Amino acid sequence: MSTIEQKKVKLTSSEGTEFQVERSVAERSVLLKNMLEDVGENDMAIPLPNVTGPILTKVIDYCTHHRNDPIQNHDDDLKKTSEDIDDWDAEFCKVDQGTLFELILAANYLDIKPLLDLTCKTVANMIKNKSPEEIRATFNITNDFTPEEEEQVRKENEWCEER
Amino acid sequence: MLKGRDTEDSSLGTSNSQEKQTLPIMQRPIPPEIPWVTTTNFHSLPTPAPSPQLFPPVNAEGFPPSAQEEFSRTVRMGFQNMDNLQRQRLLAELLNSCNTEQLVFVSNYISPRLKRDFLKDLPIELSLHILSFINDPKTLSRASSVSKFWRSLLNDEFTWKNLCVRHHFRRRSSAAPKLPPSPTSESPSRINKFSYKDHFRRRYIVESNWKHGGRTLVTHISPDTGVVTSLQMCQSYIVVGMDNKKIHIFDVSDGKYIKTLSGHEGGVWALQYMDEVLVSGGCDREVRVWDIITAKCKHVLHGHTSTVRSLKMKDKTIAVSGSRDATLRVWNIEEGLLLHLLAGHQASVRCMEIYGDIVVSGSYDCSARVWDIVTGECLHVLQGHYSQIYSIAFDGEKIVTGSLDSTARVWSRQTGFCLGVLQGHTSLVGQLQLHESILVTGGSDGAIRIWDLDTNRCVQHIAAHDNSVTCLQFDEKRIVSGGNDGHVKLWDIETGDFIREMTSAGNAIWRLAFQETKAVVLLQREGKTVMEVLDFDAQES
Repeated sequence: MSTIEQKKVKLTSSEGTEFQVERSVAERSVLLKNMLEDVGENDMAIPLPNVTGPILTKVIDYCTHHRNDPIQNHDDDLKKTSEDIDDWDAEFCKVDQGTLFELILAANYLDIKPLLDLTCKTVANMIKNKSPEEIRATFNITNDFTPEEEEQVRKENEWCEER
Repeated sequence: MLKGRDTEDSSLGTSNSQEKQTLPIMQRPIPPEIPWVTTTNFHSLPTPAPSPQLFPPVNAEGFPPSAQEEFSRTVRMGFQNMDNLQRQRLLAELLNSCNTEQLVFVSNYISPRLKRDFLKDLPIELSLHILSFINDPKTLSRASSVSKFWRSLLNDEFTWKNLCVRHHFRRRSSAAPKLPPSPTSESPSRINKFSYKDHFRRRYIVESNWKHGGRTLVTHISPDTGVVTSLQMCQSYIVVGMDNKKIHIFDVSDGKYIKTLSGHEGGVWALQYMDEVLVSGGCDREVRVWDIITAKCKHVLHGHTSTVRSLKMKDKTIAVSGSRDATLRVWNIEEGLLLHLLAGHQASVRCMEIYGDIVVSGSYDCSARVWDIVTGECLHVLQGHYSQIYSIAFDGEKIVTGSLDSTARVWSRQTGFCLGVLQGHTSLVGQLQLHESILVTGGSDGAIRIWDLDTNRCVQHIAAHDNSVTCLQFDEKRIVSGGNDGHVKLWDIETGDFIREMTSAGNAIWRLAFQETKAVVLLQREGKTVMEVLDFDAQES
């Protein structure tokens, strides 16, 4: 926004670790953007009790890389597919499931729509083109259907197989 | 599969159950086949342990069971008292001292617990957000077979509504009540309670039936060899006009023959019906108004001095007829009265279209005209074609005409100006359909062309038939075309790709029409007049 050197914003993770980021990076988060607009010029660190240090580090990585992206248009939602992930983003999402899980929660909490979409697409891609058994293995899910229920579900879903 | 455990058999029997109860790191139940395993391999550590008090001297023969248990407890407590960095360092050292077999064990042991059941563990709105990125119903249905929770989540309407939108499966609220009862809407409770999942399911089955399923509901083979001149399918009836003076009526729902309207003294060349009122015209120069229910002819309207070649209804009261006598006539078909005589064309009126109070007509005099039905006034004369006009389409704003000069022209209804000349066909443009900015034309050159009327450019060119395109219809998904080559073909309107043939070939295709789940084709096969009704609806499984 301004041509002069940007003011740093201080953020505190859940463990109390302090992070300094440029304002334009922090403002990728709609939550932080609104907070910063509300409080104005202020040196106080913003506490983020829902985000751990390692996750906040990842989030800052993402926001720094995407600091100059245009604001996402909500009208594009209909066209969205899970295939359009660029290389940097794909690499960014090569993390363990626990981290990915925390990233989704953090993106949602911080209101960073592109990061939320990216992480959710990544999970969607882990589900796609898999058999139920493969999905269970991917996410370590126990099959809790009785054989009768399983047969019923299979019948219910017959319509979209073999087409 | 867990080889590391074999070496510990002697200790497992006694310590396993207690170990489970005291494990501090457990957040979720450990699968029973993977017991907690302690290791006695500390003697192989290359360097002394960093915290000697945690590791009392160990003799190479290992511990007796109780001592080993005691040692494990000490290790765990020590571990708990460490900070993160110390823990990591210790774990790294332990892992460094493991052989491949043990590392595989660790890996197998750890990997399931690093996984998350995202859809179950996330807040539901985020789980649904994940599902919104999947537009493949097969994946979604498989996902619903994963677990009880996934199944309940996949029953959420949001996901299916989303999918309906993505697949352009619009809810046709206006059309829905008119549809015949189908397997999915049988019980009254289900009609009242609309389900996007059911809706999607049905539409998906219908779509795939169009592509590679469906069935022939009925095939009528006429004993006579009349030529089919006109066809209309909507609401309840399929109405077929023949050059042998007859009008046949069939039931849309099962394709069964209902009745024949007899009375015309010449071939029937034009007809249209709305609700229970049907108007028809032909070689006998008369316009007849029929009650479909009673099969009675209510009015015989005289006036034209030559064949009635086109007929359109504005509503149940007003109809307009166009004739080879170069005039159009506006009729009150309830009263049986002539309202206006629209004169101006210099030759046969070949085609016509109505929108609101405006009728547009295309003539063999190479011009088209825009008329006001209410006043009978000619608003515009559209001149530009070099040859006869055979086809016309009109959406209230734009008029499109197809001509023997092998072009189609786009005109403004408001100003009468020509907005574009669509060139590409190499012969007569005899078939036209217009919807929003999409125009599809069929030519005697056998080609189908798809045009974008925002730019007046041809976006697809399909070499469709070996002979004239005699009929075509399109909707947001597909084009169905029939040709003088005897083939009925289905095309993807998005890509222009050929999907399949719809019927076994005949000598020539006369007319076709389709709706969401049905298509009717009138053709000549082995010299006989044949009507086939095809059904693509979801069948009761």
